[in-house]
Amino acid sequence: MTLLVQQLVLGLLIGGVYVAVGIGFSLVWGVLNIVNLAHGGLVIIGAYLTWLLFSAFKIDPFLSIPIVAAALFGIGYVLQRLLINRVIRAPIFFTLLLTFGVNLVIINVLLLLFKSDFRSVTPSYSGSGLSLGGVQLPYIRVAGLAVALLLAGAVALFLARSRVGGAIQAVGADRDAAQLVGVNLRHVYALTFGIGAACAGVAGGLISTAQAITPSAGEPYTLQAFVVVILGGLGRVSATVVGGLLFGVVETLAQTMVPGLGAGWANAIAFAILVVVLAVRPRGLMGRPV
Amino acid sequence: MALLSLVHVDKRFGGVNALTDVGFQVEQDEILGLIGPNGAGKTTLLNCISGVFPLDGGSIHFAGQRISGLPPHRIARLGIGRTFQVVKPFLSMTVRENAAVGALFGASNLQPRLAFQAAEEVLELVGMAAKSGHAVGSLTIPDRKRLEVARALATKPRLLLLDEVMAGLNAVEVEEALDMVRTVHRSGVTIVLIEHVMKVVVGLCQRVVVLNFGQPLAAGTPEEVLRDERVIEAYLGEKYAARVRRAGG
Repeated sequence: MTLLVQQLVLGLLIGGVYVAVGIGFSLVWGVLNIVNLAHGGLVIIGAYLTWLLFSAFKIDPFLSIPIVAAALFGIGYVLQRLLINRVIRAPIFFTLLLTFGVNLVIINVLLLLFKSDFRSVTPSYSGSGLSLGGVQLPYIRVAGLAVALLLAGAVALFLARSRVGGAIQAVGADRDAAQLVGVNLRHVYALTFGIGAACAGVAGGLISTAQAITPSAGEPYTLQAFVVVILGGLGRVSATVVGGLLFGVVETLAQTMVPGLGAGWANAIAFAILVVVLAVRPRGLMGRPV
Repeated sequence: MALLSLVHVDKRFGGVNALTDVGFQVEQDEILGLIGPNGAGKTTLLNCISGVFPLDGGSIHFAGQRISGLPPHRIARLGIGRTFQVVKPFLSMTVRENAAVGALFGASNLQPRLAFQAAEEVLELVGMAAKSGHAVGSLTIPDRKRLEVARALATKPRLLLLDEVMAGLNAVEVEEALDMVRTVHRSGVTIVLIEHVMKVVVGLCQRVVVLNFGQPLAAGTPEEVLRDERVIEAYLGEKYAARVRRAGG
């Protein structure tokens, strides 16, 4: 029983990372209609930046989150403004291809800069945690979930209350109409992608504290972001939160409580969830009807 | 000086001349009707004015400033509002939020809190105040058309381009929509409207420009234009025009 509770709690905590990974992916997909295959690459840039700040300047990974988010916002903005905007009106296949290529470039640049060595961010408190009635709560995972929920709240509030948030929502709903009430499409596209990249950067920071990173370590996160968004439903931050947490729980329970399944099955479990959701409820748990 | 002037406007799509040498002016405070058979280039012309399509020749000036070549959002911010023939509401938002987006940007350019106030005002003006909290998905077609006008008005335009706001409405709804357009006009907005319903054209417009095959065919008061043989011919064919000529003696 304790084991089940432990795995349930751990699943929720791990789900925090999936929430963080999913938010930016969902925003970019929902507003720009781009399935961003470079999302995992952006996540890993965030992880490497966190590692760099930690190893070179001894900055705590959780304190460096704003710096990493700002840097990734800049990268995302420029990427969209200079590159992806050129094909934004083209069929979705072109943006898939382009972001796939961008992802390859990111991985190879990281390989050149950092080699393929495993890097990890290990502040003094990594490895320790709280014990509550026999249930272990690793500090890093607890802080990760807290950061992810804060990020979700911040993005939701920003979209609902700010002028730019209004522009982003309007562009997501109908870009022609948005343009003709005076919204600068190219700027809003770039801002949206920048915000998505900033969220990916935050996720990367969280990931760097929880696992060893390599240039290609981001790839599973593109798939997982995809599954989280399908599971929760597109178009709402709250849906991504539910999708991310649920995905964390299902994945953890499947890996630990089902005999014969282990960590090696992570991708298989993700794909299984994807297929089941698409077959049974294609709009996801909380998505709008399609 | 004219509020809007079009000078030798040309627009081609591949080999098709959608607009050829279109030139006319819209005076401050008038309601100008833009009519013509299907495919005459009316909507294309609105798209050229609002900057959606770049011109292939000529120029467009608004309030003394050249606007052809500017991106659509800049033109909207200068004070040209626009509705779509096939309505394009922001489906994920409420009625009030839709109108507020117009007030956030456009020429009004308000902060969010003021934008919601402005939204309430324009919804009142078009008779949608009672439905401001409704989801757009639950609205009827006439209401969606009103919302389309409200959103455009919320941008605080000096010039409003209405693309067939009456299409698909029944007789009672057309009367209501006519009242709405008159109210909007009285609030100080110059209007250019595309319309097929002749009752609307005669009832609203001080002046009419007729397009045919992308070229201006005639211009004048609605009564003059609708008597013009070339216009009858364009709409109903040569034979009918000949019959009208004989009957008219």
